[in-house]
Amino acid sequence: MVDFSNQPTMKGFFAPTRFEADVYDCEVTGKIPTELNGAFVRLGGDWLYPPKFADDSPFSMDGYISMFRFKNGIVDYKGRWVKTPRYKADLAAHKQLFGNYRNPFTDDPSVHGLDRSVQNTTPLCFAGKLFTLKEDSLPYEIDCNTLETIGPYNFHGKYKSLTFTAHPKVDPTTGEMVCYGYEASGLETNDVYLYTINKKGEVTREVRFKVPYISMVHDIGLTQKHVIIPVFGFVTSMERLKEGKVHWGWDSTKPAYVGVIPRDGEAKDIRWFKGPERATVHTLNARTEGNKVILEAPIFDSNPFPFFPPIDGSPWDPQKARAFIRRNTFDLNSKDDGFTEEKLFQMNVSDLGRVDDRYLSLPYRYAFTAYTDRDRPFNEARAGNLRGRVSNCYGRFDLATGKMSSYFAGDTHSLQEVCFVPRSKNAPEGDGYIMGLASNYAEMRSELIIADTQHLEEGDVARVILPFRATSQVHGRWMNEDQLPFA
Amino acid sequence: MLTRRDFVAKLAVAGAAIGAFSAVPEIWAATPRVRGEVVAFHEVVSFHMDQPYIDRTGTAVPYRPPQGARSAALVAHLSEEEFRRMQCYA
Repeated sequence: MVDFSNQPTMKGFFAPTRFEADVYDCEVTGKIPTELNGAFVRLGGDWLYPPKFADDSPFSMDGYISMFRFKNGIVDYKGRWVKTPRYKADLAAHKQLFGNYRNPFTDDPSVHGLDRSVQNTTPLCFAGKLFTLKEDSLPYEIDCNTLETIGPYNFHGKYKSLTFTAHPKVDPTTGEMVCYGYEASGLETNDVYLYTINKKGEVTREVRFKVPYISMVHDIGLTQKHVIIPVFGFVTSMERLKEGKVHWGWDSTKPAYVGVIPRDGEAKDIRWFKGPERATVHTLNARTEGNKVILEAPIFDSNPFPFFPPIDGSPWDPQKARAFIRRNTFDLNSKDDGFTEEKLFQMNVSDLGRVDDRYLSLPYRYAFTAYTDRDRPFNEARAGNLRGRVSNCYGRFDLATGKMSSYFAGDTHSLQEVCFVPRSKNAPEGDGYIMGLASNYAEMRSELIIADTQHLEEGDVARVILPFRATSQVHGRWMNEDQLPFA
Repeated sequence: MLTRRDFVAKLAVAGAAIGAFSAVPEIWAATPRVRGEVVAFHEVVSFHMDQPYIDRTGTAVPYRPPQGARSAALVAHLSEEEFRRMQCYA
Protein backbone atom coordinates (compact mmCIF):
# COMPACT_ATOMS: atom_id res chain seq x y z
CA MET A 1 0.00 0.00 0.00
CA VAL A 2 1.46 3.35 -1.01
CA ASP A 3 0.65 6.16 1.40
CA PHE A 4 1.99 9.71 1.09
CA SER A 5 -0.55 11.21 3.49
CA ASN A 6 1.98 11.72 6.30
CA GLN A 7 4.52 13.50 4.07
CA PRO A 8 4.01 17.17 4.94
CA THR A 9 5.86 18.61 1.93
CA MET A 10 4.21 16.34 -0.63
CA LYS A 11 0.85 18.07 -0.87
CA GLY A 12 -1.03 20.05 -3.44
CA PHE A 13 1.16 20.96 -6.41
CA PHE A 14 4.02 19.07 -4.80
CA ALA A 15 2.34 15.72 -4.40
CA PRO A 16 4.08 12.91 -6.30
CA THR A 17 2.59 12.24 -9.74
CA ARG A 18 4.09 8.76 -10.29
CA PHE A 19 2.86 8.15 -13.82
CA GLU A 20 4.56 7.91 -17.19
CA ALA A 21 3.05 10.02 -19.93
CA ASP A 22 2.80 10.59 -23.66
CA VAL A 23 1.05 13.65 -25.02
CA TYR A 24 1.06 13.94 -28.79
CA ASP A 25 0.63 17.31 -30.48
CA CYS A 26 0.47 19.28 -27.25
CA GLU A 27 -1.82 22.21 -26.69
CA VAL A 28 0.03 25.43 -27.49
CA THR A 29 -0.79 29.07 -26.92
CA GLY A 30 1.02 31.48 -29.23
CA LYS A 31 3.20 30.10 -32.01
CA ILE A 32 6.15 27.75 -31.72
CA PRO A 33 9.12 29.23 -33.63
CA THR A 34 9.68 26.94 -36.59
CA GLU A 35 13.45 27.18 -36.24
CA LEU A 36 13.19 25.19 -33.00
CA ASN A 37 13.76 21.61 -34.10
CA GLY A 38 15.08 19.19 -31.50
CA ALA A 39 14.11 18.50 -27.92
CA PHE A 40 14.00 20.17 -24.54
CA VAL A 41 14.95 17.36 -22.20
CA ARG A 42 14.34 17.65 -18.47
CA LEU A 43 15.64 15.51 -15.64
CA GLY A 44 14.36 15.59 -12.11
CA GLY A 45 12.78 13.40 -9.54
CA ASP A 46 9.57 12.01 -8.23
CA TRP A 47 8.95 9.64 -5.34
CA LEU A 48 8.02 6.16 -6.49
CA TYR A 49 7.61 5.29 -2.81
CA PRO A 50 7.75 7.60 0.22
CA PRO A 51 11.22 8.18 1.66
CA LYS A 52 12.25 5.74 4.36
CA PHE A 53 13.20 8.55 6.74
CA ALA A 54 11.51 11.88 7.34
CA ASP A 55 14.77 13.82 7.18
CA ASP A 56 15.88 12.46 3.81
CA SER A 57 16.80 14.88 1.05
CA PRO A 58 14.67 15.53 -2.04
CA PHE A 59 17.85 14.62 -3.91
CA SER A 60 16.88 11.01 -3.14
CA MET A 61 13.83 11.19 -5.38
CA ASP A 62 13.73 8.57 -8.12
CA GLY A 63 14.94 9.89 -11.45
CA TYR A 64 12.36 10.92 -14.02
CA ILE A 65 13.27 12.07 -17.53
CA SER A 66 10.93 14.00 -19.77
CA MET A 67 11.17 15.47 -23.23
CA PHE A 68 9.37 18.13 -25.21
CA ARG A 69 10.10 17.07 -28.79
CA PHE A 70 9.90 19.98 -31.25
CA LYS A 71 9.42 19.28 -34.95
CA ASN A 72 8.17 21.78 -37.51
CA GLY A 73 6.17 23.77 -34.99
CA ILE A 74 4.56 20.71 -33.35
CA VAL A 75 5.49 19.57 -29.84
CA ASP A 76 5.09 16.08 -28.36
CA TYR A 77 5.69 15.32 -24.69
CA LYS A 78 7.04 12.13 -23.18
CA GLY A 79 7.91 11.28 -19.56
CA ARG A 80 9.52 8.13 -18.20
CA TRP A 81 11.05 6.92 -14.95
CA VAL A 82 14.77 6.28 -15.14
CA LYS A 83 14.66 2.57 -14.50
CA THR A 84 17.71 2.04 -12.33
CA PRO A 85 18.37 -1.11 -10.28
CA ARG A 86 17.10 0.87 -7.30
CA TYR A 87 13.81 1.72 -9.03
CA LYS A 88 13.33 -1.91 -10.05
CA ALA A 89 14.15 -3.24 -6.56
CA ASP A 90 11.72 -0.87 -4.89
CA LEU A 91 8.99 -1.66 -7.39
CA ALA A 92 9.48 -5.39 -6.89
CA ALA A 93 9.31 -4.98 -3.11
CA HIS A 94 6.41 -2.50 -3.27
CA LYS A 95 8.21 -0.22 -0.83
CA GLN A 96 11.21 2.05 -0.32
CA LEU A 97 14.22 -0.11 0.42
CA PHE A 98 16.82 2.63 0.34
CA GLY A 99 17.60 4.93 3.22
CA ASN A 100 19.02 8.40 3.55
CA TYR A 101 20.75 10.36 0.81
CA ARG A 102 24.02 8.67 -0.17
CA ASN A 103 24.06 6.58 2.99
CA PRO A 104 24.04 2.84 2.25
CA PHE A 105 24.18 2.05 5.99
CA THR A 106 20.52 3.00 6.19
CA ASP A 107 19.37 0.66 3.42
CA ASP A 108 17.39 -2.54 3.76
CA PRO A 109 19.91 -5.44 3.92
CA SER A 110 18.27 -7.00 0.86
CA VAL A 111 19.75 -4.32 -1.40
CA HIS A 112 23.28 -4.32 -0.01
CA GLY A 113 25.76 -3.79 -2.86
CA LEU A 114 23.14 -2.72 -5.39
CA ASP A 115 23.67 0.53 -7.36
CA ARG A 116 21.64 2.94 -5.22
CA SER A 117 21.80 5.88 -7.63
CA VAL A 118 18.56 7.62 -8.58
CA GLN A 119 19.69 9.49 -11.76
CA ASN A 120 17.77 12.68 -11.15
CA THR A 121 19.99 15.67 -11.87
CA THR A 122 21.10 16.56 -15.42
CA PRO A 123 20.36 15.26 -18.93
CA LEU A 124 23.42 15.19 -21.18
CA CYS A 125 23.71 14.91 -24.94
CA PHE A 126 27.23 13.88 -25.96
CA ALA A 127 28.82 11.87 -28.77
CA GLY A 128 25.40 11.17 -30.28
CA LYS A 129 24.01 9.65 -27.09
CA LEU A 130 21.58 10.77 -24.41
CA PHE A 131 22.54 10.29 -20.76
CA THR A 132 21.17 10.97 -17.32
CA LEU A 133 23.65 12.20 -14.72
CA LYS A 134 23.81 11.92 -10.95
CA GLU A 135 27.02 12.77 -9.19
CA ASP A 136 27.11 9.62 -7.03
CA SER A 137 27.37 7.15 -9.89
CA LEU A 138 28.17 6.59 -13.56
CA PRO A 139 26.01 8.16 -16.29
CA TYR A 140 23.04 6.14 -17.50
CA GLU A 141 22.43 5.89 -21.23
CA ILE A 142 18.86 6.58 -22.35
CA ASP A 143 17.16 5.85 -25.68
CA CYS A 144 16.52 9.33 -27.09
CA ASN A 145 13.30 8.30 -28.81
CA THR A 146 11.60 6.10 -26.21
CA LEU A 147 13.34 7.54 -23.11
CA GLU A 148 13.70 3.98 -21.90
CA THR A 149 16.75 3.26 -19.74
CA ILE A 150 19.63 1.39 -21.38
CA GLY A 151 22.01 1.35 -18.39
CA PRO A 152 25.25 2.63 -16.85
CA TYR A 153 27.95 3.86 -19.24
CA ASN A 154 31.72 4.00 -18.66
CA PHE A 155 33.04 5.25 -22.02
CA HIS A 156 34.31 1.91 -23.28
CA GLY A 157 35.82 1.04 -19.90
CA LYS A 158 38.22 3.97 -19.96
CA TYR A 159 36.35 6.10 -17.42
CA LYS A 160 37.61 4.72 -14.11
CA SER A 161 35.98 6.97 -11.51
CA LEU A 162 33.04 5.35 -9.74
CA THR A 163 31.18 8.65 -9.95
CA PHE A 164 30.46 11.20 -12.70
CA THR A 165 29.58 14.83 -12.22
CA ALA A 166 26.17 16.26 -13.08
CA HIS A 167 27.99 19.20 -14.70
CA PRO A 168 30.48 18.16 -17.38
CA LYS A 169 31.63 20.98 -19.64
CA VAL A 170 31.74 20.69 -23.42
CA ASP A 171 34.31 22.98 -25.05
CA PRO A 172 32.52 24.58 -28.03
CA THR A 173 35.79 25.08 -29.90
CA THR A 174 36.84 21.42 -29.90
CA GLY A 175 33.70 19.49 -28.97
CA GLU A 176 35.61 17.69 -26.23
CA MET A 177 34.12 17.20 -22.80
CA VAL A 178 35.89 17.92 -19.53
CA CYS A 179 34.30 15.93 -16.72
CA TYR A 180 35.16 14.41 -13.37
CA GLY A 181 34.04 12.31 -10.48
CA TYR A 182 34.53 13.10 -6.79
CA GLU A 183 34.60 10.47 -4.06
CA ALA A 184 35.96 8.84 -7.17
CA SER A 185 37.47 5.71 -5.67
CA GLY A 186 34.65 5.02 -3.21
CA LEU A 187 32.42 6.40 -0.53
CA GLU A 188 34.17 8.93 1.73
CA THR A 189 37.37 9.14 -0.32
CA ASN A 190 38.97 12.49 -1.07
CA ASP A 191 39.86 11.54 -4.64
CA VAL A 192 38.86 13.47 -7.74
CA TYR A 193 39.47 11.96 -11.19
CA LEU A 194 39.43 14.58 -13.94
CA TYR A 195 38.90 13.50 -17.55
CA THR A 196 38.94 14.82 -21.07
CA ILE A 197 36.76 12.89 -23.51
CA ASN A 198 36.88 13.70 -27.21
CA LYS A 199 33.79 14.33 -29.30
CA LYS A 200 33.73 10.68 -30.40
CA GLY A 201 33.32 9.65 -26.77
CA GLU A 202 36.91 8.42 -26.29
CA VAL A 203 38.75 9.17 -23.05
CA THR A 204 41.94 11.04 -23.97
CA ARG A 205 43.19 12.22 -20.61
CA GLU A 206 42.92 11.37 -16.91
CA VAL A 207 44.36 13.25 -13.93
CA ARG A 208 43.88 12.09 -10.34
CA PHE A 209 44.18 14.48 -7.40
CA LYS A 210 42.91 14.99 -3.88
CA VAL A 211 40.70 17.75 -2.46
CA PRO A 212 41.52 19.62 0.82
CA TYR A 213 38.50 17.99 2.47
CA ILE A 214 35.78 15.67 1.23
CA SER A 215 32.99 17.89 0.04
CA MET A 216 30.33 18.31 -2.61
CA VAL A 217 32.10 19.21 -5.86
CA HIS A 218 28.92 19.74 -7.79
CA ASP A 219 30.12 21.94 -10.65
CA ILE A 220 33.34 23.31 -12.11
CA GLY A 221 34.45 26.18 -14.29
CA LEU A 222 36.15 25.63 -17.63
CA THR A 223 38.34 28.09 -19.50
CA GLN A 224 40.39 27.51 -22.64
CA LYS A 225 43.40 26.87 -20.40
CA HIS A 226 42.20 25.90 -16.93
CA VAL A 227 39.71 23.92 -14.91
CA ILE A 228 38.36 25.57 -11.74
CA ILE A 229 37.22 23.31 -8.89
CA PRO A 230 35.14 24.84 -6.05
CA VAL A 231 35.11 22.99 -2.71
CA PHE A 232 32.92 24.45 0.02
CA GLY A 233 31.25 23.90 3.37
CA PHE A 234 29.53 20.55 2.98
CA VAL A 235 31.26 17.86 4.99
CA THR A 236 30.81 14.15 5.44
CA SER A 237 32.47 11.24 7.18
CA MET A 238 32.10 7.51 7.59
CA GLU A 239 31.15 8.11 11.24
CA ARG A 240 28.36 10.40 10.11
CA LEU A 241 27.02 7.77 7.73
CA LYS A 242 27.20 5.04 10.38
CA GLU A 243 25.09 7.29 12.60
CA GLY A 244 22.42 7.07 9.89
CA LYS A 245 22.55 10.68 8.74
CA VAL A 246 22.22 12.08 5.23
CA HIS A 247 25.53 12.28 3.39
CA TRP A 248 26.19 15.99 3.87
CA GLY A 249 26.18 18.41 6.76
CA TRP A 250 27.29 22.03 6.69
CA ASP A 251 30.38 23.17 8.58
CA SER A 252 30.48 26.97 8.67
CA THR A 253 34.06 26.91 9.94
CA LYS A 254 35.32 25.35 6.73
CA PRO A 255 36.89 27.79 4.29
CA ALA A 256 35.89 27.68 0.65
CA TYR A 257 38.71 26.26 -1.44
CA VAL A 258 39.00 26.74 -5.18
CA GLY A 259 41.43 24.64 -7.15
CA VAL A 260 42.88 25.85 -10.46
CA ILE A 261 44.56 23.28 -12.68
CA PRO A 262 45.82 23.71 -16.26
CA ARG A 263 43.80 21.63 -18.71
CA ASP A 264 47.03 20.01 -19.84
CA GLY A 265 48.46 19.87 -16.31
CA GLU A 266 49.09 17.12 -13.81
CA ALA A 267 48.04 16.72 -10.18
CA LYS A 268 51.17 18.54 -9.00
CA ASP A 269 50.13 21.61 -11.00
CA ILE A 270 46.87 22.24 -9.14
CA ARG A 271 46.88 25.37 -7.03
CA TRP A 272 44.39 25.79 -4.19
CA PHE A 273 43.08 29.23 -3.35
CA LYS A 274 41.23 29.83 -0.09
CA GLY A 275 38.38 32.18 0.85
CA PRO A 276 35.65 32.72 3.44
CA GLU A 277 32.49 30.63 3.91
CA ARG A 278 30.63 30.38 0.59
CA ALA A 279 28.70 27.87 -1.50
CA THR A 280 29.32 27.71 -5.24
CA VAL A 281 26.90 24.98 -6.22
CA HIS A 282 26.56 25.99 -9.89
CA THR A 283 28.75 28.08 -12.15
CA LEU A 284 27.94 30.33 -15.10
CA ASN A 285 31.17 30.57 -17.05
CA ALA A 286 34.90 31.09 -16.73
CA ARG A 287 37.82 32.39 -18.74
CA THR A 288 41.57 32.85 -18.57
CA GLU A 289 42.92 36.36 -19.16
CA GLY A 290 46.73 36.37 -19.06
CA ASN A 291 47.71 35.17 -15.62
CA LYS A 292 44.26 35.64 -14.19
CA VAL A 293 41.59 32.98 -14.08
CA ILE A 294 38.06 34.35 -13.72
CA LEU A 295 34.98 32.46 -12.57
CA GLU A 296 31.47 33.91 -12.60
CA ALA A 297 28.72 32.13 -10.72
CA PRO A 298 25.63 32.62 -8.55
CA ILE A 299 27.30 32.12 -5.17
CA PHE A 300 25.58 31.68 -1.80
CA ASP A 301 26.92 33.22 1.40
CA SER A 302 26.32 29.96 3.21
CA ASN A 303 24.43 26.66 3.14
CA PRO A 304 21.69 26.73 0.49
CA PHE A 305 20.05 23.44 1.44
CA PRO A 306 17.94 23.06 4.61
CA PHE A 307 17.96 19.28 4.24
CA PHE A 308 21.76 19.21 4.71
CA PRO A 309 21.75 20.90 8.13
CA PRO A 310 24.59 22.59 10.03
CA ILE A 311 26.65 20.01 11.92
CA ASP A 312 26.86 22.22 15.04
CA GLY A 313 23.11 21.99 15.59
CA SER A 314 22.45 25.62 14.82
CA PRO A 315 19.35 26.42 12.77
CA TRP A 316 19.63 26.67 9.00
CA ASP A 317 19.60 30.37 8.04
CA PRO A 318 17.44 31.22 5.02
CA GLN A 319 18.84 34.76 5.00
CA LYS A 320 22.26 33.40 4.10
CA ALA A 321 20.82 30.98 1.57
CA ARG A 322 20.61 33.59 -1.16
CA ALA A 323 22.73 33.54 -4.27
CA PHE A 324 24.24 36.59 -5.94
CA ILE A 325 26.01 36.68 -9.29
CA ARG A 326 29.65 37.14 -8.33
CA ARG A 327 33.03 37.19 -10.02
CA ASN A 328 35.97 35.40 -8.44
CA THR A 329 39.41 36.28 -9.80
CA PHE A 330 42.40 34.04 -9.18
CA ASP A 331 45.78 35.64 -9.82
CA LEU A 332 48.27 32.97 -10.80
CA ASN A 333 51.08 35.45 -10.15
CA SER A 334 50.03 36.08 -6.56
CA LYS A 335 52.23 34.92 -3.71
CA ASP A 336 49.38 33.99 -1.34
CA ASP A 337 46.34 31.76 -1.57
CA GLY A 338 43.70 34.51 -1.55
CA PHE A 339 41.40 35.59 -4.36
CA THR A 340 39.09 38.51 -5.02
CA GLU A 341 35.31 38.50 -5.11
CA GLU A 342 32.97 41.06 -6.72
CA LYS A 343 29.17 41.11 -6.52
CA LEU A 344 28.09 41.93 -10.09
CA PHE A 345 24.39 42.43 -9.39
CA GLN A 346 22.88 43.44 -6.05
CA MET A 347 19.77 41.30 -6.45
CA ASN A 348 19.65 37.69 -5.39
CA VAL A 349 18.90 35.13 -8.07
CA SER A 350 18.30 31.44 -8.62
CA ASP A 351 21.66 29.68 -8.73
CA LEU A 352 20.47 27.60 -11.71
CA GLY A 353 22.00 30.03 -14.19
CA ARG A 354 22.86 29.41 -17.82
CA VAL A 355 24.89 31.04 -20.58
CA ASP A 356 24.95 30.70 -24.35
CA ASP A 357 26.78 27.36 -24.50
CA ARG A 358 28.58 28.42 -27.70
CA TYR A 359 30.57 30.79 -25.45
CA LEU A 360 31.38 28.34 -22.67
CA SER A 361 35.03 28.73 -21.57
CA LEU A 362 35.29 31.92 -23.67
CA PRO A 363 34.78 35.65 -23.06
CA TYR A 364 31.02 36.21 -22.99
CA ARG A 365 28.46 38.83 -22.18
CA TYR A 366 25.09 37.36 -21.22
CA ALA A 367 23.88 35.17 -18.38
CA PHE A 368 20.35 33.91 -17.86
CA THR A 369 18.65 32.86 -14.67
CA ALA A 370 15.39 33.01 -12.75
CA TYR A 371 14.75 35.38 -9.90
CA THR A 372 12.00 36.70 -7.65
CA ASP A 373 10.55 40.11 -8.45
CA ARG A 374 8.62 41.03 -5.31
CA ASP A 375 7.02 43.99 -7.05
CA ARG A 376 5.22 41.82 -9.57
CA PRO A 377 1.64 40.83 -8.77
CA PHE A 378 0.90 37.52 -7.10
CA ASN A 379 -2.58 36.08 -6.75
CA GLU A 380 -2.54 34.58 -3.28
CA ALA A 381 -6.15 33.48 -3.39
CA ARG A 382 -5.50 31.29 -6.43
CA ALA A 383 -1.87 30.30 -5.91
CA GLY A 384 -1.32 30.20 -2.13
CA ASN A 385 0.65 32.54 0.13
CA LEU A 386 3.85 32.33 -1.87
CA ARG A 387 4.16 36.02 -2.62
CA GLY A 388 7.82 36.93 -2.75
CA ARG A 389 8.89 33.31 -2.56
CA VAL A 390 8.47 32.07 -6.13
CA SER A 391 10.78 32.58 -9.09
CA ASN A 392 8.37 34.58 -11.20
CA CYS A 393 10.85 36.07 -13.70
CA TYR A 394 13.64 35.07 -16.03
CA GLY A 395 16.37 37.65 -16.47
CA ARG A 396 18.96 38.19 -19.17
CA PHE A 397 21.88 39.72 -17.32
CA ASP A 398 24.30 41.80 -19.38
CA LEU A 399 27.65 41.43 -17.66
CA ALA A 400 29.18 44.13 -19.85
CA THR A 401 26.73 46.89 -18.92
CA GLY A 402 25.24 45.64 -15.66
CA LYS A 403 21.75 45.91 -17.14
CA MET A 404 19.04 43.29 -17.17
CA SER A 405 15.99 42.55 -19.27
CA SER A 406 13.17 40.57 -17.74
CA TYR A 407 10.42 38.10 -18.57
CA PHE A 408 7.47 37.75 -16.17
CA ALA A 409 5.62 34.41 -16.13
CA GLY A 410 2.31 35.43 -14.51
CA ASP A 411 0.70 35.96 -11.14
CA THR A 412 0.16 32.28 -10.33
CA HIS A 413 3.37 30.87 -11.78
CA SER A 414 6.78 29.78 -10.59
CA LEU A 415 9.66 29.16 -12.97
CA GLN A 416 12.11 26.28 -12.98
CA GLU A 417 15.63 26.46 -14.45
CA VAL A 418 16.02 28.53 -17.62
CA CYS A 419 17.65 27.23 -20.79
CA PHE A 420 18.95 29.31 -23.70
CA VAL A 421 18.54 28.22 -27.33
CA PRO A 422 20.29 30.24 -30.08
CA ARG A 423 18.04 31.49 -32.89
CA SER A 424 20.41 29.85 -35.35
CA LYS A 425 23.90 28.36 -35.29
CA ASN A 426 25.41 31.67 -36.36
CA ALA A 427 23.19 33.99 -34.33
CA PRO A 428 24.96 36.57 -32.14
CA GLU A 429 25.57 35.66 -28.51
CA GLY A 430 22.35 35.66 -26.49
CA ASP A 431 20.09 36.08 -29.54
CA GLY A 432 17.43 33.40 -29.51
CA TYR A 433 14.95 31.94 -27.07
CA ILE A 434 14.80 31.20 -23.39
CA MET A 435 12.87 28.14 -22.42
CA GLY A 436 11.78 26.67 -19.12
CA LEU A 437 8.97 24.99 -17.29
CA ALA A 438 6.53 27.06 -15.26
CA SER A 439 4.44 25.63 -12.45
CA ASN A 440 0.94 27.07 -12.59
CA TYR A 441 -0.11 26.77 -8.96
CA ALA A 442 -3.66 27.90 -9.61
CA GLU A 443 -4.52 25.53 -12.42
CA MET A 444 -2.38 22.65 -11.18
CA ARG A 445 -0.53 22.20 -14.44
CA SER A 446 2.88 22.77 -15.99
CA GLU A 447 3.55 25.07 -18.92
CA LEU A 448 6.68 25.23 -21.05
CA ILE A 449 7.57 28.87 -21.61
CA ILE A 450 9.29 30.03 -24.80
CA ALA A 451 10.31 33.69 -24.94
CA ASP A 452 12.35 35.70 -27.44
CA THR A 453 15.46 37.14 -25.78
CA GLN A 454 15.12 40.31 -27.88
CA HIS A 455 11.62 40.94 -26.55
CA LEU A 456 11.50 39.51 -23.04
CA GLU A 457 9.46 42.36 -21.63
CA GLU A 458 6.70 41.60 -24.15
CA GLY A 459 6.05 38.15 -22.69
CA ASP A 460 6.37 34.70 -24.21
CA VAL A 461 5.97 33.83 -27.87
CA ALA A 462 4.50 30.44 -27.03
CA ARG A 463 3.51 28.19 -24.16
CA VAL A 464 3.19 24.44 -24.38
CA ILE A 465 0.40 23.49 -22.00
CA LEU A 466 0.52 20.16 -20.21
CA PRO A 467 -2.80 19.00 -18.77
CA PHE A 468 -1.08 17.90 -15.55
CA ARG A 469 1.72 18.71 -13.13
CA ALA A 470 5.03 17.56 -14.58
CA THR A 471 7.56 16.13 -12.15
CA SER A 472 9.90 18.67 -10.65
CA GLN A 473 13.06 19.33 -12.60
CA VAL A 474 16.59 19.91 -11.49
CA HIS A 475 18.16 20.65 -14.89
CA GLY A 476 16.90 20.85 -18.47
CA ARG A 477 18.88 21.04 -21.70
CA TRP A 478 18.05 21.85 -25.30
CA MET A 479 19.29 19.23 -27.78
CA ASN A 480 19.36 20.09 -31.44
CA GLU A 481 17.88 17.84 -34.12
CA ASP A 482 21.35 16.97 -35.42
CA GLN A 483 22.84 16.05 -32.05
CA LEU A 484 20.90 12.84 -31.46
CA PRO A 485 19.49 10.07 -33.72
CA PHE A 486 15.91 11.21 -33.37
CA ALA A 487 13.29 9.23 -35.27
CA MET B 1 -4.93 7.40 9.05
CA LEU B 2 -5.29 10.53 6.96
CA THR B 3 -6.12 9.59 3.39
CA ARG B 4 -5.52 11.84 0.41
CA ARG B 5 -9.28 12.33 0.07
CA ASP B 6 -9.55 13.31 3.74
CA PHE B 7 -6.63 15.67 3.35
CA VAL B 8 -8.24 17.45 0.43
CA ALA B 9 -11.49 17.68 2.38
CA LYS B 10 -9.68 19.18 5.37
CA LEU B 11 -7.93 21.59 3.05
CA ALA B 12 -11.27 22.80 1.75
CA VAL B 13 -12.50 23.30 5.31
CA ALA B 14 -9.31 25.14 6.19
CA GLY B 15 -9.67 27.36 3.12
CA ALA B 16 -13.20 28.23 4.14
CA ALA B 17 -11.97 29.05 7.63
CA ILE B 18 -9.40 31.42 6.18
CA GLY B 19 -12.06 33.23 4.27
CA ALA B 20 -14.46 33.34 7.19
CA PHE B 21 -12.12 34.23 10.03
CA SER B 22 -8.95 35.51 8.32
CA ALA B 23 -7.00 33.07 10.48
CA VAL B 24 -4.18 30.73 9.47
CA PRO B 25 -5.24 27.10 9.95
CA GLU B 26 -3.30 25.26 12.61
CA ILE B 27 -2.26 22.43 10.33
CA TRP B 28 -0.07 24.82 8.33
CA ALA B 29 1.04 27.31 10.97
CA ALA B 30 1.17 25.77 14.39
CA THR B 31 2.99 28.56 16.17
CA PRO B 32 1.01 29.22 19.35
CA ARG B 33 0.70 32.82 20.43
CA VAL B 34 -0.24 34.38 23.75
CA ARG B 35 -1.42 37.96 23.45
CA GLY B 36 0.48 38.31 20.20
CA GLU B 37 3.77 36.93 21.50
CA VAL B 38 5.39 33.81 20.12
CA VAL B 39 5.91 31.37 22.98
CA ALA B 40 7.07 28.22 21.19
CA PHE B 41 8.12 27.03 17.76
CA HIS B 42 6.74 24.09 15.89
CA GLU B 43 7.62 22.58 12.56
CA VAL B 44 5.96 24.23 9.61
CA VAL B 45 6.08 23.63 5.89
CA SER B 46 7.77 26.55 4.20
CA PHE B 47 9.43 27.30 0.89
CA HIS B 48 12.96 27.81 -0.30
CA MET B 49 14.16 27.91 -3.90
CA ASP B 50 10.70 26.93 -5.10
CA GLN B 51 10.69 23.74 -3.07
CA PRO B 52 8.75 22.98 0.09
CA TYR B 53 10.73 22.00 3.17
CA ILE B 54 10.07 21.49 6.86
CA ASP B 55 11.27 24.50 8.81
CA ARG B 56 12.24 23.85 12.40
CA THR B 57 13.79 27.23 13.15
CA GLY B 58 10.59 29.12 13.83
CA THR B 59 11.70 31.85 11.45
CA ALA B 60 10.10 30.76 8.18
CA VAL B 61 6.81 31.88 6.71
CA PRO B 62 4.45 28.88 6.90
CA TYR B 63 3.12 27.71 3.54
CA ARG B 64 -0.62 27.97 3.12
CA PRO B 65 -1.99 26.25 0.00
CA PRO B 66 -4.21 28.06 -2.45
CA GLN B 67 -7.90 28.14 -1.80
CA GLY B 68 -8.79 28.00 -5.46
CA ALA B 69 -6.51 25.37 -6.94
CA ARG B 70 -8.44 22.70 -8.76
CA SER B 71 -11.60 24.51 -7.75
CA ALA B 72 -14.30 25.74 -10.08
CA ALA B 73 -13.06 29.31 -9.82
CA LEU B 74 -12.24 29.51 -13.52
CA VAL B 75 -15.78 28.63 -14.57
CA ALA B 76 -17.65 30.34 -11.77
CA HIS B 77 -18.69 33.20 -14.02
CA LEU B 78 -20.61 30.90 -16.35
CA SER B 79 -24.39 30.78 -16.22
CA GLU B 80 -26.09 27.59 -15.09
CA GLU B 81 -26.94 26.78 -18.70
CA GLU B 82 -23.41 27.44 -19.95
CA PHE B 83 -21.97 25.35 -17.14
CA ARG B 84 -24.36 22.42 -17.66
CA ARG B 85 -23.60 22.40 -21.37
CA MET B 86 -20.00 21.71 -20.40
CA GLN B 87 -20.47 19.51 -17.35
CA CYS B 88 -23.91 17.98 -17.30
CA TYR B 89 -23.14 15.64 -14.40
CA ALA B 90 -20.92 17.95 -12.37
